[in-house]
Amino acid sequence: MLLVDLVQSIVDGLLFGATYALIGIGFTLVFGVMHKINMAYAAASIGGAYAALRIITLIAGPAWASLLIAALAGGLFGLLIYWLCFRFIPLSNSLATLMSTVGMFLLAEEIIVHATDGMPQNFPVVVRGILDIGEFMIRGDLVFVFVCALLAMVVLLYLLYRTKLGMATRAVSQQPIAAQLVGIRLSHINALTFIVTGMLGGFAGALIGSAVGLLSPLLVVPLTIKGLIVTVIGGLGSIPGAIIAGLLVGMAENVFQYFRGVTERDIYVMLLLFVFLVFRPGGIFSSTARRD
Amino acid sequence: MTIIRLFAASAVMAGLAMASSAPTTAQEREIKLSGFGAMSGVVRSFGVNSKAALEAAADEINKAGGVKLGDGAKGKIVIEYFDDRCNAEEGISVTRRIASSPALVGIGPTCSNVAEPLFGILQKKAGDAGDSGLQFPIFTDVAIKGGLAQISEWAFRNVPNEGAMYASLFQWLKKTRPELKSLFGGVEEDFAHSRATWYAVMKEVAGKEGFEIKGEAKWLLADTNFTNQAREARRAAADIVAISAHPFTTCGMLKEMARQGVKPKLVIGLTSSSSLETLQGCAGEAEAIIIPTSFAPVTPEAQAAANNAAKFNGSLDLHSGAAYEIVAILKNVIESEGVLAKPDTVQADREKIRKGLAKLTETKGLMGVSKRTPDREAVKPFLFVHAKAGKWEVLHNPMN
Repeated sequence: MLLVDLVQSIVDGLLFGATYALIGIGFTLVFGVMHKINMAYAAASIGGAYAALRIITLIAGPAWASLLIAALAGGLFGLLIYWLCFRFIPLSNSLATLMSTVGMFLLAEEIIVHATDGMPQNFPVVVRGILDIGEFMIRGDLVFVFVCALLAMVVLLYLLYRTKLGMATRAVSQQPIAAQLVGIRLSHINALTFIVTGMLGGFAGALIGSAVGLLSPLLVVPLTIKGLIVTVIGGLGSIPGAIIAGLLVGMAENVFQYFRGVTERDIYVMLLLFVFLVFRPGGIFSSTARRD
Repeated sequence: MTIIRLFAASAVMAGLAMASSAPTTAQEREIKLSGFGAMSGVVRSFGVNSKAALEAAADEINKAGGVKLGDGAKGKIVIEYFDDRCNAEEGISVTRRIASSPALVGIGPTCSNVAEPLFGILQKKAGDAGDSGLQFPIFTDVAIKGGLAQISEWAFRNVPNEGAMYASLFQWLKKTRPELKSLFGGVEEDFAHSRATWYAVMKEVAGKEGFEIKGEAKWLLADTNFTNQAREARRAAADIVAISAHPFTTCGMLKEMARQGVKPKLVIGLTSSSSLETLQGCAGEAEAIIIPTSFAPVTPEAQAAANNAAKFNGSLDLHSGAAYEIVAILKNVIESEGVLAKPDTVQADREKIRKGLAKLTETKGLMGVSKRTPDREAVKPFLFVHAKAGKWEVLHNPMN
């Protein structure tokens, strides 16, 4: 029975880790392009999910529509964050943009709290069903999140490596001055990056809402922390790294909880982060390309 | 000419001064009561509801003629409300600020982790010249962790006695549902109230009533993944699952139990979860959950109070209902103790109120008469509610 429980914990953790992976992709993409951390990313993602919930409640829309609406709202919030926290702040000052996004994170969280009085909101389930395999149970909605994370990786990699927009984005990421000299508008590419990651974030926020079954401001801080851990472990700027790290962190959480209990769980996850920082500071997939 | 102008100007100014001072003397005095609690952060709803309840109760008293003061004058209750963000340092800071104002009493806080250190800055024993602690009465409406008022003689609480409530619930279950033999617990480990209620109350009283405790699963306030915990509950196969957690994680656990097909014969919840929040979060999964509570709109007074609070954009529950009652209790104490509510009698008035509250052996509340204990706690009437079709309905009234 011990082995069954352990394997089930690993499977549950891996699948739940897909939600962390989706958030980690957003963090890592912005870092990959702009070499900046957007601390408001998870808050905006959950904000997108809240906007979708409000709209589908108003129009009595189907649950799956929440994913699309959240993606659109997330894209809008992404653009807003770019304008408020990056566009008019000197990008050479890393601390300035870091602090502006921390401010935006707190603001977004408090807006959600004031709009809902902090009450948890029931979020519609997009995918139902449990797959029973002997003693094991696999949640259908988490498998769906897992597949979405893989699809997001494929789409983003295609976008980055097979389109003109992707080429321009990589050019801005690697040689921003040269990119400007060949006519690429830096602010345009940066804004588009925020819109794309915002859309992914909104989509992720709705998937997380659906997987948890609830939306609450309580989701914002843990997702931000997990997103950052995933970004560091995966390798700053690496999309496949974010996915693998997301799954790894999810699994580690569940296994540590299984063996050491909930009160010690997070200590070991943080230790895992320190192990990476000490022995592999570039993360699982450290990128070799460097900005000017 | 200049002298005439000067005289005329002086006359006009004197007239204006008299005109402005005349209404002041005719005005009723202000009795300032300062509420404080969480108005931001994830427990904001508690502060919103308490503020509405305080304002509704004050409005009702003021409309009925106000409060009779010690010198025969009439006083109007004025409520102000401060945000402590459910944070101990901010709670202490807010209390010091209130204590330096003309407020006669502080009503709050929301969170037990604020109340505990906050009561620690009050003078421990009233009248102890060697203790420089704050001499300011605090009357708590929400923070529910057991026994906190013992910390200071300036601390009073009108919160339900969970020990008595859960003891009564398990006794009733033993009598009416003899098929229920075992219990499995779920506890939010990092919140003072939920932790204390599971370990010191639910687990203790259920054990005393002969229920077999088949284990407990733990999680944290912001957790979102309950797969391990629900599996533990499934393995335990207990007749009852008792969840000592706040609405967000109560709903998370109930949803995971539903996914994994964990179907105990009965689910019991934490007092604080008998609120709108749980129904907003998971009405379907919470169907039939039983929770003891000290408020339900089952008496005419409670119904009227709930309607009044709704006018102030709040919802009355066991916590905000307590805030509503506190204002009425304070009105009676102010009248019986001859409080003057003058700017130069603030500290003397606070002392009178403290003594008056300490003398009380019972108070009239929205659900009936509450007893007051020597350690300044309340023993309030309570009943058992269960979630039914998205509403809280009274299941049993042990007071009948």
